[in-house]
Amino acid sequence: MATQEYDVLIVGSGASGGMAAYTLTKRGLKCLMLDAGPNVDFAKQRVLKPAHELPYRGFGKPGKLPHVLQANEFNANQWVDEKQVPYTYDPKKPYNWVRVRMLGGKSLFWARMSFRLSDYEFKAKDHDGFGENWPINHAELSPFYDKAEGLFRVTGRKEGLAQLPDGNFIPDESTDSGAMKRFSAAAKTMGIPTTKIRRALGKGPFASSFNLLLPDALATGNLTIVPNAVAREVTLDKATGKVTGVSFIEKGSNREMHAKAKAVVVGASCLESTRLLLNSKIANSSGVMGHYLCDQFYMNSSVVAIIPEARDGKGPRGFTGGGGYIPRFRNLKKNEKHNFLRGYALDFSTGGTPDPKLFGSWGEDLEKEMASCRGAAFSCTSMGEALPRFENHVSIDKNVVDAYGIPVLNIQCKYTENEYTMAKDAVDTIGEACEKAGFQVMNKNPKFYNPGYSIHEVGTCRMGDNPKTSVLNRWNQSHDIKNLFVVDGSSFVTSGSQNPTMTILSLSMRASEYLADEAKKGNL
Amino acid sequence: MKRRRFVQALAAAPAVPVLLAQQVAPPATTQQPAVNPQMVPGGTRGGFGSMEDLQKLDVVSPDDAASMVQRFCTVDQFAALQKLSDTMMPPMKGMPGALEAKAPEFLDFLLGHSLADRQQIYKLGLDALNAQSRKSFSKTFAKLDASQITELLTPPLKRPWTYDPPADPLERFLRAFKADVRTATTNSKEYSVAAAANGAGAGGGGRRGGGLGLYWNSLD
Repeated sequence: MATQEYDVLIVGSGASGGMAAYTLTKRGLKCLMLDAGPNVDFAKQRVLKPAHELPYRGFGKPGKLPHVLQANEFNANQWVDEKQVPYTYDPKKPYNWVRVRMLGGKSLFWARMSFRLSDYEFKAKDHDGFGENWPINHAELSPFYDKAEGLFRVTGRKEGLAQLPDGNFIPDESTDSGAMKRFSAAAKTMGIPTTKIRRALGKGPFASSFNLLLPDALATGNLTIVPNAVAREVTLDKATGKVTGVSFIEKGSNREMHAKAKAVVVGASCLESTRLLLNSKIANSSGVMGHYLCDQFYMNSSVVAIIPEARDGKGPRGFTGGGGYIPRFRNLKKNEKHNFLRGYALDFSTGGTPDPKLFGSWGEDLEKEMASCRGAAFSCTSMGEALPRFENHVSIDKNVVDAYGIPVLNIQCKYTENEYTMAKDAVDTIGEACEKAGFQVMNKNPKFYNPGYSIHEVGTCRMGDNPKTSVLNRWNQSHDIKNLFVVDGSSFVTSGSQNPTMTILSLSMRASEYLADEAKKGNL
Repeated sequence: MKRRRFVQALAAAPAVPVLLAQQVAPPATTQQPAVNPQMVPGGTRGGFGSMEDLQKLDVVSPDDAASMVQRFCTVDQFAALQKLSDTMMPPMKGMPGALEAKAPEFLDFLLGHSLADRQQIYKLGLDALNAQSRKSFSKTFAKLDASQITELLTPPLKRPWTYDPPADPLERFLRAFKADVRTATTNSKEYSVAAAANGAGAGGGGRRGGGLGLYWNSLD
């Protein structure tokens, strides 16, 4: 096949890159997609094995993935090897960077939690004066949320909450269990709303770009995918000020290649996109590229309680089970007095069994206590907005390169008092709701994992109307280079307390529609 | 066959058998078998007979024929590790306990390959366990009776669990060990075999019961 110039070169095949390919190819643009990972045959890639046949009985090879707490010995090969593609950080400020390199990216493994941001996030500065507003609002993004939710088959219950806009849902009409109703009623007396989890049902085993976006994009005949292509640099023609394509390394051979395109869309995941652009030394006249890295602090089992009626298997049928979502409820009104800005959200479940670590016993006594509590636990996961701060940033570490010779990222990020105070409020408040519901609180944990753990990292190429304080404009288009777009979570201005994937998908779709319009007008 | 078609046929054939055919074309002069069975995927190729006809050889795992050599712990530390393993995971409900599951031997192996921080938690913890036993009962932990063990373990383990590891080396070790010995036991072959026979045990089936999991092969 002769080398050709494509209309658009897309870096990355996950939620954002996949949505760009889906949208652009349907508009008739010839797209080339590069992904750093392989095209996995999932039927062959994974084999059933008993834990005792693994070399480390499920503990995992010591030191293999020190920052990927989600990894276990079964799925260790699913994650990016930290030795092959390292990153650096201040040992006093560890960062858990969790990465996947294969077609479909992290959209193969996400928890499918599908929420919209609201104008409490898009216009956050208007509410509390901190940071910047987004250049867009919910109404502008809403039509794209509608389409993304349709494609990913998001289920949910409409509530009419301003802080958690309803979506284009497959209605969740399941009844709540008795324990859920008790908790929701108790929370309501404290002004805390609850709703059903909003979740992408997807199709078959995945709710991923791999099965929901890329097949349709390929069917247009306008998409060419090259896996195992590790992008090294977005190339720039200094004479025209436009990008011309991407240089990449072929995984395996380490051959250096270059692909040409009239426009480049970067959707390589938040920090990989920023790393690629920083290594390319482009699109950073503002000097804010790499800055304002944020995410949500994250802690599972932040409150664990026992539902007394369900002890010893005595709960009536249907009394426990199921889960729900507590959207942000703090700092929604101007006159609220809390010692932190913004807010947090939680998802909760009923009907589990507490972890052995929460019992003071061992041996036979532990087994008896666990048996008594089997299926009788309430548990929740807290996720709170980490404020976007200039000093939380990434840069290129010139002294370290990865297995492909590409300079790695240095990550400087830490949580501050605002996040710690918020997390304490979360566990105290939910603990109180549990007690009101008649549950016995077993443990409250106001601590959380290192930054990065939630895999909700956003920012570092933020959008904005002012080219001096933002990297991208309101269309995810570089202020500096009009044929360059960045469509993933790096474009976020704030993180909110909601899981980011639906917003990433919607932004990417919106940016891609704009790109197609501009290309048609000859404006790129 | 026309040359063009012959070239196409060559290109279509899997690379490995073609290479092998070239290697074994001259008379075999080495003592190695001419064909490595693993390199010819299924069926007949080049007239070597069907691989399916080969008799399967019975083999066993090293654990069925030998014992793990202790590498990490000192004699005193290992004796304490064994006693503590048996205390925390005794045989229950017809399921093997930590000793039958060779959990102490496995953990000794795991520690030998672990990073320094985990090694340190165990070293300091096991030494503290023995020191505390000597102080309170004038003997090592391995020699304590059940009530003495309860007296020693209750205070550190009754304190509420916290996310940040406890400052006290003994408490820190006990908390790590309580989780580790459970995993090492329920993920053992012995536990898996018993779980299959009994239906379920502590932790039930699934991954934690030594059951099956989907293992990801290397992406390279």
